[in-house]
Amino acid sequence: MKKFLRSGNPYIWLTAGTLTACLLMISGLVVLIMINGFGIFWPHKIVQFTLQDGTVLLGEIAKREPIPHQKDAYRTKVKVGNRDVYGMDFRWIDDAEVVSQTYPVHALAFERREWGNLYGFLQGLRQGDGVKPLEKEAMASLLRESHALYKKIRNIEKKDIGNINYRMEKIRLELKHLTLLQLSEKTRKRAAALNARMAHLEKIYREKEDTLARFYEKAREKEVVVLLADGREKMVPVFQIIRTSMPNEMGAFAKVRFYVAKSWEFIWGEPREANTEGGVFPAIFGTVMMVLIMSIAVVPLGVLTAVYLKEYAGDSFISRLVRISVSNLAGVPSIVFGIFGLGFFIYFFGGGIDKLFFSESLPSPTYGTGGILWAALTLSLLTVPVVVVATEEGLSSVPKALREGSYALGATKIETLWKVVIPQATPGILTGTILAMARAAGEVAPLMITGVVKLAPSLPIDSHFPYIHLERKFMHLGFHIYDVGFQSPNVEAAIPMVYTTTLVLLFTVLTLNLTAIIVRNKLKKWYSTRAM
Amino acid sequence: MSREAYHKALKKLEDEVLFMGEMVSNAIRKSVESLQKRDIAASREIVKNDLLINKKRFDIEEKCISLIATQQPMAVDLRELTSILSIVTDLERMGDHAEGIAKINMLIGEGPLVKPLIDIPRMAEIGLSMLNTCLKAFVNRDTETARRICNEDDQVDALHDQIYRELLVMMMENPRIIHMATYLTWVSHNLERIADRVTNIAERVVYMVTGKMEEINVSKY
Amino acid sequence: MAKEHIIVPEPIVNIIDLSLYYGKVQALKSIALDISKKKITSFIGPSGCGKSTLIRCLNRMNDLVESVTIEGCIKIDNQDIYSPTIDVTELRRRVGMVFQKPNPFPKTIYENVIYGPRLTGIRKKGILDDICEKALKKGALWDEVKDRLHTSALDLSGGQQQRICIARAIAMEPEVILLDEPCSALDPIATAKIEDMLCDLKKDYTVIIVTHNMQQAARISDYTGFFMLGKLVEFNITTEIFTNPREKQTEDYITGRFG
Repeated sequence: MKKFLRSGNPYIWLTAGTLTACLLMISGLVVLIMINGFGIFWPHKIVQFTLQDGTVLLGEIAKREPIPHQKDAYRTKVKVGNRDVYGMDFRWIDDAEVVSQTYPVHALAFERREWGNLYGFLQGLRQGDGVKPLEKEAMASLLRESHALYKKIRNIEKKDIGNINYRMEKIRLELKHLTLLQLSEKTRKRAAALNARMAHLEKIYREKEDTLARFYEKAREKEVVVLLADGREKMVPVFQIIRTSMPNEMGAFAKVRFYVAKSWEFIWGEPREANTEGGVFPAIFGTVMMVLIMSIAVVPLGVLTAVYLKEYAGDSFISRLVRISVSNLAGVPSIVFGIFGLGFFIYFFGGGIDKLFFSESLPSPTYGTGGILWAALTLSLLTVPVVVVATEEGLSSVPKALREGSYALGATKIETLWKVVIPQATPGILTGTILAMARAAGEVAPLMITGVVKLAPSLPIDSHFPYIHLERKFMHLGFHIYDVGFQSPNVEAAIPMVYTTTLVLLFTVLTLNLTAIIVRNKLKKWYSTRAM
Repeated sequence: MSREAYHKALKKLEDEVLFMGEMVSNAIRKSVESLQKRDIAASREIVKNDLLINKKRFDIEEKCISLIATQQPMAVDLRELTSILSIVTDLERMGDHAEGIAKINMLIGEGPLVKPLIDIPRMAEIGLSMLNTCLKAFVNRDTETARRICNEDDQVDALHDQIYRELLVMMMENPRIIHMATYLTWVSHNLERIADRVTNIAERVVYMVTGKMEEINVSKY
Repeated sequence: MAKEHIIVPEPIVNIIDLSLYYGKVQALKSIALDISKKKITSFIGPSGCGKSTLIRCLNRMNDLVESVTIEGCIKIDNQDIYSPTIDVTELRRRVGMVFQKPNPFPKTIYENVIYGPRLTGIRKKGILDDICEKALKKGALWDEVKDRLHTSALDLSGGQQQRICIARAIAMEPEVILLDEPCSALDPIATAKIEDMLCDLKKDYTVIIVTHNMQQAARISDYTGFFMLGKLVEFNITTEIFTNPREKQTEDYITGRFG
């Protein structure tokens, strides 16, 4: 026994066991997220239940579980959809109640812009007064038509009216600015010109609104008649329908196509229905952009700090104190950083900027409220210790011999730092940046008070000068998860979205990290072959 | 000193050994010639020049030692340097023998010799050719020639025998010439020793090339 | 007072009564010697004898170490290098240094060699190319690397790397080249190459080399100084030191009877 202990084998087993436990937990988490996240868009069969009390239900099976405290009894959670009709999306059915369970071939799932899914059977198309029967192909072309219309409407709403609004807002601000100035011939002239332009814009605006109204009118013209499971008929405007599917008659190929289409929509689309449906593109975009801004801010901050600490500060009591404090910053709760960001960046800095440059739009703040810049800066404060520590490590790993070699050739300290030490420390610095990025991408709490919103009206980058709008509020995958999972009016419907969004966040972080790693390797090569 | 310079220095040392060999062989030839010609002045010259030979020997030795001390010669280089050390000692001794002959000539003085010199110049001739061949073998690293030279020593020994016996007979016949005849036996002895020294050098050459210390031809004397 | 040592011809470096302290520890004790121009002078001695410390005084590398104080004076070309008017970087351009471990920068061979000249403000590619070629030729490396000047210097062998470091120092056209145990990390063949190269360099430069390997000092140097416990025990012509040292301590050290 003693020999066995001395051989070291038990310790190897202990360490290996710990590693295995960690790996199992992490891979378990990832697998859980993957299974739930990847599964959501796969078309489920539509089931028709006939219950003992005569009720007929149509829907997708969401979950099946044993009833607690009863032997061999199961119940099924059915997503019955038709929220506007039934008032709820899900129903529990005990197995004992079920009389029959069938998979009607012609059962249709309608994905709508509002009110969630609708399940039923297609009856026909109502246009004007008459109801005509509707074929599947005709349905498809109808949908194409209505999608084109939807696009047009969106174009007018977002682009044209948005543009006009933007310009009107600018004019309004300038007018306000003019009123703040002293009255003179010049300002009066300018104001008159502005007012004329304003009137012109308002005219265009009204025209656009008219077109919009006409489009909406047209959109409401056609309605699909759907026979629900309980025999009622339901009118669904074609305009409301995003997609119809008949999962019960789908082949494997059709299912894959459906899956790809849904996934595509998820990644590139905009959220609907209080984020519980649709896509997460604005959130992905916001996350990536915020992380990039954060990196741009944190790298110089962290690197310069570390260079001073390591190269110039020496080893006094104060420098050691600073070093310890920097390391300990990592232990400050992130919400505290958020509050600091709110106080320092938003109120102090942002408020200051507003007073200086955007006084005309006060009291409504421009920079004096949460925005992507402030969120990124707050997070860069949060992650700066990581970069400082990594950079210091990187700097210490540069062999003394290299520095001496440079000094011996008549280089000064700063030349040596720039040409030899920092290039050599770059991999370390970038490793720190990668860690910081991962940390920042997953952080939610401080963002909630520095600029993240549930639904941002526009992306921080668009076609209006100056193209990058750092003051705008933005969406973030982490916050999206929190919002969908806990703040949504329809939590049960949103749970799969939580997993999928998590998965997207994971992939986003992975992509950011991989990019950073590739950049690091490229830089390493670049430094070793280029002049500096 | 770079390695190239070191190898050049070795080569130069070799040349100096050859030069010293030249000095010694000159001394030997001249000593026998002056004996033949009864030229006391030439003998005096030889005695004086022996100092130069001695100096040359120290010079070469010093260079060897300094190369050994600073350049860490190994293998063939080391054997060459130690061989040179031994060769210059032999050469120096050969120079001393030549000096000895010159001194005998001075002792004999102006008078005629007890007998005309026939075998002694032959001995000198063989000895000198042995020395020259041997030095050539040293430069060319030619062990075969070096071994052959050792066999030639037998001829010199035989001539020495012959001279000794001849002189002995003469001395028994005419005891008045014992004094002068003995001088000639000394000359013969010196020449015999010179040839022996050449075999020593030949042995060094063989050692330098093969790395084996061997006695090649045991001299009778 | 320091011992009187031999007088060398054409001295370029004069070390006059030099003492050096690390904090309170005296590392060099009244060193006095002259170094002859365009000769190789080597410093030998047991570890911690101060020979490296001394050589690092000659281009003021010791400035980088905190708590070093220096007494006495070092003159190069009759100029006191510790005078306050001297520009240290300028001094280091005149007095090149090569270190124990090859320390090429993680750059290309070309960039390594022209690192120094570039610092002095030379920007023209033609001039830099010339400097690079000349330095590499003097460093006996040109033929080996001329086809791959723009590959990383770290891909070279240890011996080649050390020669890059020497070439790098030569590129500055220094008056004096200091070498701090340049071959201690190299194999015998690489060492021999560097030794040969140093013997060639002596035509143009004054070379001072610190070495653990006294055979090396014996092989290549013209003058040798033997140090012990911070003192210069003996300074003489190399052959003299190795065949007939004057001091008992020197003899004990070089014959291995030390201690």
